[in-house]
Amino acid sequence: MSPLLEQFLSEARDFLQGIGEKLMQLENAPDDVELMTELFRFVHTLKGNSGLFDFPEMTRVLHAGEDLMDAVRNGRVAYSQQLADRLLDAMDFVGMLCDEIEAEGSIGAAYAADSARLAESLRQLMASAEKAGAVSAIEEAATPLVLTAAAATAPLLAPKVELPLAEIPETARMAAYRSARAGNPLHWLSYSPAEECFFNGDDPFFQARQTPGVVWGGIVARAPWPPLAAMDAYRCLLDFRLLTTAPRAEIDEYYRYMPEQIKLLPVSPLALVLPQGDPNGGPVYEDLVVDALRNLRGGDVSAVARAARAMLELSNPDLWLSSALRWLLLLIECEPDNHPALAALIESLRSLQPVDWYLLEQSATPAVGAGTAAGATEAAAGTASPLAAEEAAALAAIVAAQRAILSLPLGAPWQLGRLRAAGAALAGCLRASGRGEAVHEVETATAQSLACGSAQPLSDWLAHHFAPAAESAAAANHPSASAVATAAARPVATASGGANTASDGDRESSSGRRADDAESDVKFGRRAEDAAAAGVKSVKVDQAKIDRLMNLIGEIVVAKNALPYLAGRAETVFGVRELAREIKAQYAVINRIAEEMQDGIMQIRMMPVSFVFQRFPRLVRDISRKLGKEVNLVLEGEDTEADKNIIEALGDPLVHIVRNSLDHGFELPELRRAAGKPPAGTLTIRATQESDRVVIEIVDDGKGIDPAVIKRKAYEKGLIDETALERISDQEAVNLVFAAGFSTAEVVSDLSGRGVGMDVVRTAIEKVNGAISLESQKGKGTRLRLSLPLSMAVTNVMIVESDAQIFGVPMDCVVETVRVPRADIRSIKKSLTTVLRGRIIPLKSTNALLGLAAPPLANAEDELAVLVVRLGDESVGLLVDDFRETVDIILKPMAGVLAGLPAYSGSALMGDGSVLMVLNIKGLF
Amino acid sequence: MPIEFRKNQALFTEVVSVEDAEGLLEWLQKKPGARIDLSACMHLHPANLQVLMAASVAIVAWPADAAFTGWLRSALAAPP
Repeated sequence: MSPLLEQFLSEARDFLQGIGEKLMQLENAPDDVELMTELFRFVHTLKGNSGLFDFPEMTRVLHAGEDLMDAVRNGRVAYSQQLADRLLDAMDFVGMLCDEIEAEGSIGAAYAADSARLAESLRQLMASAEKAGAVSAIEEAATPLVLTAAAATAPLLAPKVELPLAEIPETARMAAYRSARAGNPLHWLSYSPAEECFFNGDDPFFQARQTPGVVWGGIVARAPWPPLAAMDAYRCLLDFRLLTTAPRAEIDEYYRYMPEQIKLLPVSPLALVLPQGDPNGGPVYEDLVVDALRNLRGGDVSAVARAARAMLELSNPDLWLSSALRWLLLLIECEPDNHPALAALIESLRSLQPVDWYLLEQSATPAVGAGTAAGATEAAAGTASPLAAEEAAALAAIVAAQRAILSLPLGAPWQLGRLRAAGAALAGCLRASGRGEAVHEVETATAQSLACGSAQPLSDWLAHHFAPAAESAAAANHPSASAVATAAARPVATASGGANTASDGDRESSSGRRADDAESDVKFGRRAEDAAAAGVKSVKVDQAKIDRLMNLIGEIVVAKNALPYLAGRAETVFGVRELAREIKAQYAVINRIAEEMQDGIMQIRMMPVSFVFQRFPRLVRDISRKLGKEVNLVLEGEDTEADKNIIEALGDPLVHIVRNSLDHGFELPELRRAAGKPPAGTLTIRATQESDRVVIEIVDDGKGIDPAVIKRKAYEKGLIDETALERISDQEAVNLVFAAGFSTAEVVSDLSGRGVGMDVVRTAIEKVNGAISLESQKGKGTRLRLSLPLSMAVTNVMIVESDAQIFGVPMDCVVETVRVPRADIRSIKKSLTTVLRGRIIPLKSTNALLGLAAPPLANAEDELAVLVVRLGDESVGLLVDDFRETVDIILKPMAGVLAGLPAYSGSALMGDGSVLMVLNIKGLF
Repeated sequence: MPIEFRKNQALFTEVVSVEDAEGLLEWLQKKPGARIDLSACMHLHPANLQVLMAASVAIVAWPADAAFTGWLRSALAAPP
């Protein structure tokens, strides 16, 4: 991975985080222009950066996001919850792409479709908002508006209705059929390049020709051609359609730069079986059909094939019959066991109507079914598939818009163009709704209208063919439909100024200029904003580099600690006290610098807890919305700092706690109201520093924990026995939630309730030497308190000696050190114990725990050294040989094979170069 | 020049590029009913194809490449 890409990824994550935060803030202050500008800048910069690399999927989504934000910023689109949701979705997608890039080095082509969908959903938001509020858009005359409406719906409708498979030559269809039967997927691909694509140097024809696995390809014009004199050769008005047998992934990869321009539909191989040809006086092959069906029922497929072959030799190859027979033979060859299909094909010889494979093949996809139906329309009109409700509503909206346009009075001659546009839109509607046979009627009506300069013929036709009542009902179902209609009509009414009498070409170019001007304004604005982001005072450093510094400073500490030994040797071995004193003086200087340096490096590793906290606004928002609860999140002390490892270890447990709190802690708004609380709950996450520890409190004002319920659940799960059930206090009961396998939730939700919750949280916190405690008041709320060390880098350990070896024991665990006379040690069964200040302390020999054979040594007064340590809630005495000093060490966790030894938590280098093993008290027992 | 304009017939050769569409359009505007020979054509930019489609020209010879011909026929064989 190139350094540039690495930097991009790291920056992209920051930007995504920033975008998320800004969106959250905007939710509370939707009118804050500054926030909006900043948000726009984030998206814009991120998009710009992504453009440096070959990630079209990412850039496409970001580009759509940028446009949308630009529209919001300029007040063209209002900020809404839905907008935030979609934008967040899009950013999540970009984040996922970043992960993918990091892992794979590139983005798989499979994401192209997702990317196009997301970009589309963002743009839709913009389009719908703009359509609804198109009052100011006077230049946007009726024609483009109507066309966009038609264009927006056409892709929805077209593929379902128009799969003109019958246009494909029989040989090509047969080849495709064979290929599909050989196991290749069969897809119908329609590729509609952008109108201005020639100016980008694209050659869509070449692109289409080179499509992998293409079996057949065809080209159609999108609209009737204008007279040659008015022709613009450089506006691409061609659609490419092809049949391909390449795998879907390969096609996606091939068209990854233009996923929004292609439509891919799976085609059932049987849909290709469409006999064609001269009917030759109608169906007269009854004998053949009866014979063939009888043979088929008798299972004698080869007889059917023989008869078909014989018949084929006798017949003119151009006949419909011959075509059907050729297909029959092919079917027999490829799938001789598909008797229903064969029977249906033979039956079709009776009527000379193509088989409706859709009815036959129940499992076929609707698209294919519709395709077959469309193919069949030539023979049997009116079998087009009904439109989906949404599509019907869109259709009604378009038709209503045309009606509104036609009802406007005609003034200037140029307004005749409106009639032509309406006619074209209606023709499109007809094609889309599968009534293609009526298109020529519209065209005639349009021509009449144009000829007589009145909208009458066209509106008559419209009234006749599209019943207004049915539409208005549909429009009522679809509220925006009428809005679209009026929006479409309004610009027409206003656009009657003298400027519009200019020819179409002039008008276009002038509006184009205006657009250019606006564009350049925006660009300058953007540049100024970019500059504001520069001059950041922080440096981004890879963590590995800081870890290296940490290691080096550790070594310096060890090396400098060797100096006192050296001074001692100078004095005792070589007898030069002067030198010894100078070494000691020098040591003091080095010591001071080393300590400052260590402190400095610690500071670098310090991170504010906001690193963890920043994810909560989004988390709380998403979860509370999902659960239907109202929760206000309050974050306090976000700038409290702690070591990076601690902060990172805090992340997952905190998320878990917050989820738990949202899921179990807070009541639904009605319940809260009934309990006399404000309907919106408050979740407070507060970080504070207490001496050398960070304390994080998570407080909710929810329903709290009922100790009785906890006790009962714990008893049911066998976590406590009956006597404990009676004995334990409420506080202790509440703490049972930390026991492994505990869950109070009746139902396992996708948020929590699997009983791995608090137990895992506690373990994670304890791993970084933290502690967790819980207080809860039924009905009032719950308070969780996490206490963590500021830094894990330096550990304070006590050195003890046992069997002539030294071991470190973390000071956190040490309760006290005592010397116990041998006489006071009793043995109960096989365990040694002693009584210390009225409490029985079990004694364990360190040697025995570590598998050393030597017995513990006593001192001159026959006393044994006992190191009392804390083990969970109890105290245990460790028998050692002697106590030594306490030291600050840099603990290195055990690596490699040694990592599996639970008895040690790590090792450290001592000043004299020896290695100190640090015991893990929990792991010993 | 990939397009060779003769009296009433244009001969397409090799790869006809996007720049040729302009000239083709002008020529066809002057010569309605002109005929096109594609037999030596390997590929043509869709801008040219559009012009041919709009002009509903008669094709006197199709390219040698069958697949290419298939594409072109779908666009040109059945004038609207």
